[in-house]
Amino acid sequence: MSALTFDRLGKAYGETDVVKDVSLTIGEGEFVSLLGPSGCGKTTILRMVAGLVEPSRGRILIGNDDVTSLPPNKRGLGLVFQSYALFPHLTVFENVAFGLRRRKVSGAELDKRVKEALAMVRLAAFGERYPRQLSGGQQQRVAIARALAPHPRVLLFDEPLSNLDAQLRDEMQIELKRLQRGLGITTLFVTHDQGEALSMSDRVGVMAKGVMQQFATPEDIYHRPATGFVASFIGKPNRLSGMIASRDGAGGTVKLGNSLVLPAAKLDQPAGARVDIVIRQEAIGLAAGEAGQGALPGTVALRSFSGARVQYVVKLADDVELVAEAPSSGPDAALPVGSPVALRLDPAAVFAMTPEGERA
Amino acid sequence: MMKTRTGLMLIAPLALVLAGFFLVPVLMLLPTSFGEYLPGSGMTPGVWTLENYTRIVTDDYYLEVIWRTLGLGLFVTLACLVLGYPLAYLIARGPQSWRVPLILLVVFPMMLNLVVRSFGWIALLTNRGLVNNLLIDLGLISTPLKLMFNLTGLMIGLTHIYLPFMVLMLVAAIQNVPRDVESAAATLGSSRIHVFTSVTLPLSAPGILAGSILVFVLTISALVTPRMLGGPTYKVMATVIYDEYMQLLDWPSGSALSFTLTFMAIAVIWLSSRLTKRWAGMA
Repeated sequence: MSALTFDRLGKAYGETDVVKDVSLTIGEGEFVSLLGPSGCGKTTILRMVAGLVEPSRGRILIGNDDVTSLPPNKRGLGLVFQSYALFPHLTVFENVAFGLRRRKVSGAELDKRVKEALAMVRLAAFGERYPRQLSGGQQQRVAIARALAPHPRVLLFDEPLSNLDAQLRDEMQIELKRLQRGLGITTLFVTHDQGEALSMSDRVGVMAKGVMQQFATPEDIYHRPATGFVASFIGKPNRLSGMIASRDGAGGTVKLGNSLVLPAAKLDQPAGARVDIVIRQEAIGLAAGEAGQGALPGTVALRSFSGARVQYVVKLADDVELVAEAPSSGPDAALPVGSPVALRLDPAAVFAMTPEGERA
Repeated sequence: MMKTRTGLMLIAPLALVLAGFFLVPVLMLLPTSFGEYLPGSGMTPGVWTLENYTRIVTDDYYLEVIWRTLGLGLFVTLACLVLGYPLAYLIARGPQSWRVPLILLVVFPMMLNLVVRSFGWIALLTNRGLVNNLLIDLGLISTPLKLMFNLTGLMIGLTHIYLPFMVLMLVAAIQNVPRDVESAAATLGSSRIHVFTSVTLPLSAPGILAGSILVFVLTISALVTPRMLGGPTYKVMATVIYDEYMQLLDWPSGSALSFTLTFMAIAVIWLSSRLTKRWAGMA
């Protein structure tokens, strides 16, 4: 059973299409993320679902009800904002009670449900405080409790974790996911952080320039990106300009610089097309020493340590530079600058995309 | 964080000018207000009295003027608030392209001289003024309405003059209410009216108070408009003070009234800032 459906949903501001005919169906209890760079239309979609932005085209269904033209207060959704958007003049208790009071819940029932919601976000003792007396993480948990308390049909998140520092963000990711699984509540989560989207979601929709590029499980998004954009947006990509050298079935070869030719398993552009080549850092095998059969020879140009991994900038033929990684505890963790290395590339990890600024 | 010394140096020029040309002269009036005035011979040197003050709180005429001034301040403030809030809301939340023209329209009257504006109101409001003539010609009334030399006239004139101050304060306050917080209330089930009464209005309360204090204090101390629209008989504190000084030459009594007015203004500011703190503490 579908909990939330977009039917050719579109939004234009004047001549500019910010969301172009997005259709998708989200199942009951599913956790779906919309992922994309800023300005890709993901927040506009969320605000259209909430009723805060009016769609130019298409329909939005919650369950089987067409809510496209309903005002936000009639949609029965919970929305958590990036800015928390707590009521600064009300206590934490009253913030959480706000939605319940609008649904005519009162007395002991109100008290019970507010306390339930606050307990869920582990803030049971904070009811009498005002929002300004809480830390950012606590304020965001109040915002989540406030959205959950009226038992909404769908929970919406608008980049809820981006104002939190890195460690707290990781904690909140786990806490949020546990909460969502426990309640089985259908969730639409908007973010520009691929880590957040991949780790929390059942399915991820990757968007660019108002177009849904791919809507699939995190595994598919990562391992089988549908477009060059998805490949370049997910993971840690090397992005170099080049061209399609030859086509052979679904794949072919791409050319970097004057002579460097790499096989690619899946290509969309015809031979001869100018493209941006995308190669994931983490998909490049790196070994010290001279290159053997099927490997690319290069030299270390720069080394940078980032904890669990070490990144190397490797200079190949024709001054083409690629970033490759090695585990920081392995044998290849401390190669000096100038030392020879061999790179192995999986053809399935080489993608091509139409360069920025040209028609996709 | 700025150092205290830097801060002091930044306010020093203004502080010196105010101390030399405002505070000292005002304080020089303080002894005068306890002096004794004899008609025809002026102040008696070396004689001190509280009579100037006791007269203000016992004399029926002075009491009437004080209550009238306070009432006028209250009514003008309320009128500015009621007329100004919808306009300020439109400027703050309406179409972007309306904002600059509307603000210009709000500010425009302030570019005209106060005397000219008050004369304009005289031309409109006198017994044979535009308003009364129009109403009589339309057959709506048979005798002219009394629109001048009374509370009505002063309220109309002063509301018009101080409305821009109120609107500008309210625009700033309403713009400071986060849109997300209003949207949050809407998604939680609030109708547009409930969003306004439960979020926008309380969160713009500090601006409402600030604008109200400003208009109230300006109104109770206004001189030119009350003199012109109030005429020789309908007096407020500022016009009475003017008469005591300039026409009766009773400086002690004028000084005492001045300090009473100042005290009232300070009391209102103090009370309101306490209220603001209580609200802003939550907001």
